[in-house]
Amino acid sequence: MGHQDFSNKKALLIEDMAEARIMQKKMLNDFGFKSVDIAMKAETAIELLKNQQFDIILADYNLGKGKDGQLLLEEARHTKLIPNTVTYLMVTAETSIEMIMGAIDFQPDGYITKPFSQAELQRRLTKLLKTKERLLNVNLALDAGEFQETIKAAKAVMKKHPSLEGRCERVIGKSLLELKQYPEALKLFNKTLKSRKMPWALFGQAKSYFHLGELDKAEKNLRQLMLDNRFFVSAYDWLAKTKVAQGHPEEAQAILIDAIGRSPKNVLRQIELGHLSLSIKDYTTAEMAYRRAVFLAKHSCYNTADVYLGHLESLVRIADDGPLAERQLDNFNNTLKKIHQSFIDDPRVAAKSYSYEIDIYLANKDLTTAKQMFELWLNEVKTNVASPPTKQQTQKYTAAFGG
Amino acid sequence: MKKMDISTILASAIHESKNQVGTLLYQLQGLKDSLENKDGNQTKITLIEESLKKLNDEWVEYLYLYRLASDGYELHVDTFLMEEFLDDQVFALQPSATAKNLKLDYQCDASLTGIFDERLMTAVVSTAVYNALRFAKSKIVITAKMDENFLVIAVEDDGNGFNPAEESEDNLLDSNTGLGLYFAELSANAHIARETKGFIKKESSVNLGGASLCIYLPQ
Repeated sequence: MGHQDFSNKKALLIEDMAEARIMQKKMLNDFGFKSVDIAMKAETAIELLKNQQFDIILADYNLGKGKDGQLLLEEARHTKLIPNTVTYLMVTAETSIEMIMGAIDFQPDGYITKPFSQAELQRRLTKLLKTKERLLNVNLALDAGEFQETIKAAKAVMKKHPSLEGRCERVIGKSLLELKQYPEALKLFNKTLKSRKMPWALFGQAKSYFHLGELDKAEKNLRQLMLDNRFFVSAYDWLAKTKVAQGHPEEAQAILIDAIGRSPKNVLRQIELGHLSLSIKDYTTAEMAYRRAVFLAKHSCYNTADVYLGHLESLVRIADDGPLAERQLDNFNNTLKKIHQSFIDDPRVAAKSYSYEIDIYLANKDLTTAKQMFELWLNEVKTNVASPPTKQQTQKYTAAFGG
Repeated sequence: MKKMDISTILASAIHESKNQVGTLLYQLQGLKDSLENKDGNQTKITLIEESLKKLNDEWVEYLYLYRLASDGYELHVDTFLMEEFLDDQVFALQPSATAKNLKLDYQCDASLTGIFDERLMTAVVSTAVYNALRFAKSKIVITAKMDENFLVIAVEDDGNGFNPAEESEDNLLDSNTGLGLYFAELSANAHIARETKGFIKKESSVNLGGASLCIYLPQ
């Protein structure tokens, strides 16, 4: 194997244990890396990733109390913080490997099991970079969201490098789904499944069925996947989606709660549970889910205003039945404060938080403050700081104020 | 207190110990780096390192064995270029062979690909090679080829071949070899394609004259 030159590559090392961190940094330096940035936890890594580009990310799966290396990968790939052209090598212990394998949509480019020697790490990285190089055109197209181009590139790679066939077929399937060419996608997954029960193909087949409206078939596949691998949590998300589409939101909610029990740190799933629970008027569950989402979102790639607004809304709905308890009021004010710190520049967000605040004051029968808030809102509408209230809101509030 | 399953307790104890071996290996690496290259203790340290690595690999084998036997192992198959896979195995096990003055090599068609669970087969091959290291006189070869619908990975040596005494079932768990074979068998069995299960065969090596452990994996 030829020697790969690492001196011009930028590496990010994410490891919470000091001893391993020092050792791994030394290894990377010893075989040529000049630039190695270090993060002790996923949250710090996300901040680094927002400001810098890396060629290689070496992340431990187990990162102590915070987000693990897999959640970091999922979030960062999903939000394109880590492009597909970047190599992500997960450092694992034997027992954590199946959790990574269970995350079928966002798998690392490779994994290396502790303990490993410098020579093993160098060899693994050299190989991974070689594969990335071969897949460069595929990944560039994928990152650009040009899926026709991705398919073309993947077919070319497959022809040249038969060992990458599985990988390329997977990318083609994903691209066909993105292009909404569901019958073609289904055909591809069927073909793969004929020779081998690959989980990604079974999952792809389920997604195709879902989009083609064959919900029962989708459900059957997803249940099979859940049975095959209890760590395959994304199958739960899709089963919940399928249940909603079948008109069974309560069942969907139960499935999501189950999935959250298996993987409690996933922000998107908490948001989904919050959203779904609001829709079936289960405000207590909605509040709990959104509260967790708010907590998790802060250091994630999904730190958007809607998470916080969702939490406020669920509390307002609880207040519809009477004033909030003190603890709930604290929760409301905490989240409101966070919105003011980070998202209040958006007039839409400003308007929504005003309306929720007024609702809470009204529920507490504090008419004076509610009225003051409404006036404040209207003032800010004039300076374009907040969007105007809707007609319904204006009617509702003026009626409540006895005007 | 609720009564716990003893095999689960043992498995997690092995896992703990394995992690400690990992820490020891890191510390040893640090010690090695701090010594001069010509230091006479380098050889000793390498020997300790190899023994610890073997211990680690054995514990990995036991953990997988536990999971396979208790139906807790989730198989993850993928396509691999066999030349690369075998090259990886030889690379990882080469130091152990060298320490015993044995040659370790691989042979396969450059274009051969196979579908299997990489981690499991890595553990099986290393178990088989560690075993062959005890019996080989001068060399061990890992081969891969297709036989009908099966991918056959074989670990061959030039030792005295399989001992018929080990054939008896009673002996199975008495010796390290027996346990290793049982592990190889369960791992092969876990590979299923089109309702066909994988299996193992103990043969004599045509090329080297010693033992040959063949792992048949349905494709």
